[in-house]
Amino acid sequence: MPPSCCGYLSQFTHHHLVVFLLTFFSYVLLHASRKTFSNVKVSISAQWTPSVQNDSAPPFSPGETWQDNRLFADEEEATLFLGALDSIFLFSYAVGLYLSGVIGDRVNLRYVLCFGLCGSAVVEFLFGTLTEWLHIYNIYLYCGLWVLNGLLQSAVWPCVVAVMGNWFGKAGRGFVFGLWSACASVGNILGAFLASSVLKYGYEYAFLVTSVVQFAGGVVVFFGLLTSPKEVGLRESETGLGPVETDSDSHRPLMSDEEEEEEEEEVEVHAKPCQSVQQPDESQRAISFFQAFCLPGVLPYSLAYACLKLVNYSFFFWLPFYLSNNYGWKEAEADRLSVWYDVGGIIGGTVQGLISDFMGKRAPVLAFSLAMAMGALVGYSRSPNDQVINAVILAATGFFIGGPSNMISSAISADLGRQDALRGSQEALATVTGIVDGTGSIGAAAGQYLVSLIESKLGWMSVFYFFIAMTGGSILFITPLLWRELQAMWRDRRALRRQL
Amino acid sequence: MTSIDKKKMIAVYSWKESVALILLFNISFNASDRLSGLQVCSLCGGKVPNGTAAGRFCSQSAGRIDGRCCLRNDSTSDPERIIGLDLSNCSLTRVENLQDASEALMIDLSLNPIVNISDDVFQGFFDLKCLILPKDIVCPGGNSSWQKVEIQKGNRLCEGQKNMCNQTGQMSLNCPENSLCAPYGPGFYECSCAENYHGYKCLREGTFPVLQVFGPLALSAVVITFLLWVTQRRKAKSL
Repeated sequence: MPPSCCGYLSQFTHHHLVVFLLTFFSYVLLHASRKTFSNVKVSISAQWTPSVQNDSAPPFSPGETWQDNRLFADEEEATLFLGALDSIFLFSYAVGLYLSGVIGDRVNLRYVLCFGLCGSAVVEFLFGTLTEWLHIYNIYLYCGLWVLNGLLQSAVWPCVVAVMGNWFGKAGRGFVFGLWSACASVGNILGAFLASSVLKYGYEYAFLVTSVVQFAGGVVVFFGLLTSPKEVGLRESETGLGPVETDSDSHRPLMSDEEEEEEEEEVEVHAKPCQSVQQPDESQRAISFFQAFCLPGVLPYSLAYACLKLVNYSFFFWLPFYLSNNYGWKEAEADRLSVWYDVGGIIGGTVQGLISDFMGKRAPVLAFSLAMAMGALVGYSRSPNDQVINAVILAATGFFIGGPSNMISSAISADLGRQDALRGSQEALATVTGIVDGTGSIGAAAGQYLVSLIESKLGWMSVFYFFIAMTGGSILFITPLLWRELQAMWRDRRALRRQL
Repeated sequence: MTSIDKKKMIAVYSWKESVALILLFNISFNASDRLSGLQVCSLCGGKVPNGTAAGRFCSQSAGRIDGRCCLRNDSTSDPERIIGLDLSNCSLTRVENLQDASEALMIDLSLNPIVNISDDVFQGFFDLKCLILPKDIVCPGGNSSWQKVEIQKGNRLCEGQKNMCNQTGQMSLNCPENSLCAPYGPGFYECSCAENYHGYKCLREGTFPVLQVFGPLALSAVVITFLLWVTQRRKAKSL
């Protein structure tokens, strides 16, 4: 029986809302600072290079204003280095994801999350602001700081997904997580806005503002985030998919001590049938990295996500370049058009999450969407030179690629980390999320290199065939799960018919 | 035979070096300033002769003669600067560093066996109004950089620097974005940042409003932190 609308909403308290917003904005701030870096690239490369004069004309005077910064001979070299920094970041981010998930399940999630947010804010301040104020331009320093930034930023995603997984049960998870995973796109918009509004004072202020805002976000999270409903004596989200129960406490506007006691009693009553199977000591023990890897579904989804994130991030990084390169559209137009991919992804993640909630199964929705994505990619590679048609096909491609991608990285990761097989050890959420997203990030990092290689050797059409093949690959990896889920659905239906 | 052997000094200092230099100058009781001023003045012996162009110029502008230099300070608080330099008949074969006299109004290098002078020697000499050279040496920056070039008593006289910024000539004088053109010695121009712009390549505009940005930010962070702590974490139990 699908949950009704009112029952669906009334299970949430004001704690749920605050947790949703805090985790959402944690990742928004993180992605905003990432976007800041890509938006100030032009200013940074100007800062690192001497000004170029055409032909034999003498260089501009005075030297200290126009010539003295010679980290790179020209802007082309600087751009190459900035691209290398992106790859370094993605790789260290991927490595960090494997580690930080494991740490997140063992240490308090709130501490790890704050450490990631504030630490990466400090590193960004050092990278962008302090080196500029002190005029220290050194490529090894930049590389080192960016590796550190990748490692610190990787602490955030597994923690926010784990906190969300603690609070939002599997029943409404698809929809809530679909909505929630818009945080990356919102972060991009916020980052672009922050960077553009302070860039005129110098790129170091773009870094200063985003890192200070991110640091403040970390402090707010430290004092405001409840990592688990258990911290305020509420029931933790249920593991299985079942009809949604109505919580009586959400109707009460304020919490008093009396009520809390009541809630605790209530929880004990509720929790008893669940906990009768497990020993209480065991429930707090975190799962090991390899145990998490071997959990049913983790490996197939990780590999599927590696293929999918490769395609998704390639669109993210290369789309404006492809549009201005292939159609000759201006950079600003291409930037504006590429937003439609994000829009499609947000809607796709939410709608597909909702559908999967009602079905009670995620793999069939995923497989269908990915099959459609292959078609959308074929369509997009043959898109006519018309911005409206291109934007429509692009939004559809985003819907079918970005949607599943958002779903695997958030809702499905949370499902996998709280599955029934984990009854004995509950703290697997961050580890599993780290493994899924880390494998995905390795795929994305490799994709950065492969796309530029294929494009230069074989052209854009081959890049699209590569994308189609990768999407097919991710379908292949989830086929076993799809088969199992379809069988289960078939069995359920037969059982239901027999009952009637 | 004397020659200027000092290494070519380019005004290329990084931020740190210039700070260190300033410190050095302050510590060494202003002696180094004076010493370097004397170096160019004592490139060859004797004093500025009374009868020469430089001597006449110096007495007209009420300067003090020190070796081959004519020094003057505009006000008592200012340090003395070289306004005239007479290195005539000094047997110079090369002229490489005259930076100490960069504010000079007139320089006399006549009667020297100089083969060639690089244009760069006079970069930054935007006050220079009169330059006397041996006949075979062309005026720095070419004839187009001077209002009047003439041969007088076997010397070449370069008079009245032209402003390179107002000239429409063979060189493209467009300064980059956000900068304005200003004269910078014969044949040279300088691109200095336009009003409100500063920093490397004049990329920065205005000053960052620290209080307006971080004030509200800090305030709202504190308020949100407090509110959330009261409503969320105040009664949280450690797990």
